[in-house]
Amino acid sequence: MEVRELKTLLVLMRDYGLVELEMEDKKGKVRLVRGGGRASVDVTEAGSDAHLAARAASPIKMATRHVEATAEEGANVAGKIDLAPNQKLIESPMVGTFYRAASPDAAPFVEEGSSVRKGQPLCIIEAMKMMNEIESPAAGRVIRVLAENGNPIEYGQPLMIIEVI
Amino acid sequence: MFKKLLVANRGTIAIRIIRACRELGISTVAVFSTADKNALHVRMADESVCIGPPAAEDSYLNIPAILSAATTFGADAVHPGYGFLSENGDFAEACQRSGLNFVGPRVRHIRLMGDKPRARRIMKRAGVPILPGSEGTGVTELREAQADAKRLGFPVLIKAAAGGGGKGMRVARDGNELTRLFPLAQGESEASFNSRKMYLEKYLERSRHVEFQILADLQRNAIHLGERDCSIQRRHQKVIEESPCPILTTRLREKMGKAAVRAAEVVGYSNVGTVEFLLAGNGAFYFIEMNTRIQVEHGVTEMVTGVDLVKESIRMAMGEPLGLKQRQVKFDGASMEFRIYAEDPERHIPAPGVVTNHHTPGGLGVRVETALYDGYRVPVHYDPLIAKLIVHAQTRAEVIARAKAALREYVIDGIKTNIPLHLKILQDPDFNRGEFSTDFLSRYEPAPSETAQHAPVSKAS
Repeated sequence: MEVRELKTLLVLMRDYGLVELEMEDKKGKVRLVRGGGRASVDVTEAGSDAHLAARAASPIKMATRHVEATAEEGANVAGKIDLAPNQKLIESPMVGTFYRAASPDAAPFVEEGSSVRKGQPLCIIEAMKMMNEIESPAAGRVIRVLAENGNPIEYGQPLMIIEVI
Repeated sequence: MFKKLLVANRGTIAIRIIRACRELGISTVAVFSTADKNALHVRMADESVCIGPPAAEDSYLNIPAILSAATTFGADAVHPGYGFLSENGDFAEACQRSGLNFVGPRVRHIRLMGDKPRARRIMKRAGVPILPGSEGTGVTELREAQADAKRLGFPVLIKAAAGGGGKGMRVARDGNELTRLFPLAQGESEASFNSRKMYLEKYLERSRHVEFQILADLQRNAIHLGERDCSIQRRHQKVIEESPCPILTTRLREKMGKAAVRAAEVVGYSNVGTVEFLLAGNGAFYFIEMNTRIQVEHGVTEMVTGVDLVKESIRMAMGEPLGLKQRQVKFDGASMEFRIYAEDPERHIPAPGVVTNHHTPGGLGVRVETALYDGYRVPVHYDPLIAKLIVHAQTRAEVIARAKAALREYVIDGIKTNIPLHLKILQDPDFNRGEFSTDFLSRYEPAPSETAQHAPVSKAS
């Protein structure tokens, strides 16, 4: 996606008072987040993720939630994440280290956009040399991964957002 | 030299440890429960980690969570403070197994002194005087207790073998009271220490609680830093502590100090510790127990000796030798500590809430250790100790005058505190003369009918 197109989207977001916009087309996926004086842009190129096809039915999605948390801020801002009624926040049940895959060379359990079954492993928290699998509480789709692979995680820190189907 | 120390505690002692680490150039990791995310110790530490929900069992007493935090965040040492896991042998052992330095004595010394009947046996063999009491490993059945009481003669003190902090402790003045109170004390012991083992001691009327501060290095050198008189207590919870003890002669201090050092040496103790004695009116003294940690009231000893006990505990844990010999310990003036509790001063019920206006007293010889600040919400989940006012001056009379001025200057709005009780005690003629015993505060108790027994909250000290 070109800068010109991004600018157009940002103007539209401002005019309609949106804080987050996620859209995807043949060229790829883009998510724009406004708020607190900073804007973040996530772009995923088309074809990099197999799961994109599953979302083709609704190419433009407008979200009303405002996600400000970063992995570093952790539990201290957990209260600021506003979720839509069909979304669930996955919080760490323990202090430890966050891993997205079973081993360093394995593929991540899930990506943003992945469909998940109830009970499917989402990630691992290593505590006291024990690998604790964190399972999805419901069937749905991963819409955000909020923690960085390999980072320390505290109790109650937001890890992912799941959209329940 | 430790590089990063995890503080496995909260409140005033966590802040005290963080300050000591700053002076020593050691970086700090604070741990906290979700109820403490706005706590001062969390703000002051270099790093902080949320380890669990408010209930202490799930956070500050949660050994796997604390060890996981220490290893994940790269700490090489753990300071337990007082209360919580400070006298838990399993925690000290788990730290060692995870390659973490535990700031405190060796695991076996924590376990030994935690087993009160066993500690009594060892002290008796070493020639440290103990009170007549249950022999062997203690008692679990009422009839055993009744047999011991018959031999000792009433009144007797029922105590928990795994006890501490005044829990599982009751005075019985006759057989009926013993029958009624023994199961009660045993229930408390089971709830607090998961142990039904009890023991009896002859109850000494009109005695004082006098304890000696021990400092010992890993090279088996041990000294004492004088005594603290902690007789001003309520239901076995200390309220005011002072050093020196106003009635102790130089000779008796020397004798008790030697006994305390012997108690530490006979087991090869290391780090900071406190040997508690009961002092009878006739000058006889008896070993009660040894606390294998820094105490709440360590500040008064620091004021009169000039020794930073928290820094010393860390230095000793790093294997450094004592920098001080017994004869180099000098005592300067007098000091008192006033424990400020968030509680209703009339009814002694914990009174949590939001501090709306906070001003701490200052001036020469006035030290405040607190975790409060404007707008801070005192959580309901933990010990109601919110501050310690420590006053130092050249004489005891000067300490009392300075303390009165400081307590009147102290502003803690929004919550109830026991400051009014402290001011009453400071006016008391017997207190001013230094004439009191451990039952002193009963004169300021409301009539028994008014004190409905409330469930004790989990104590951090």
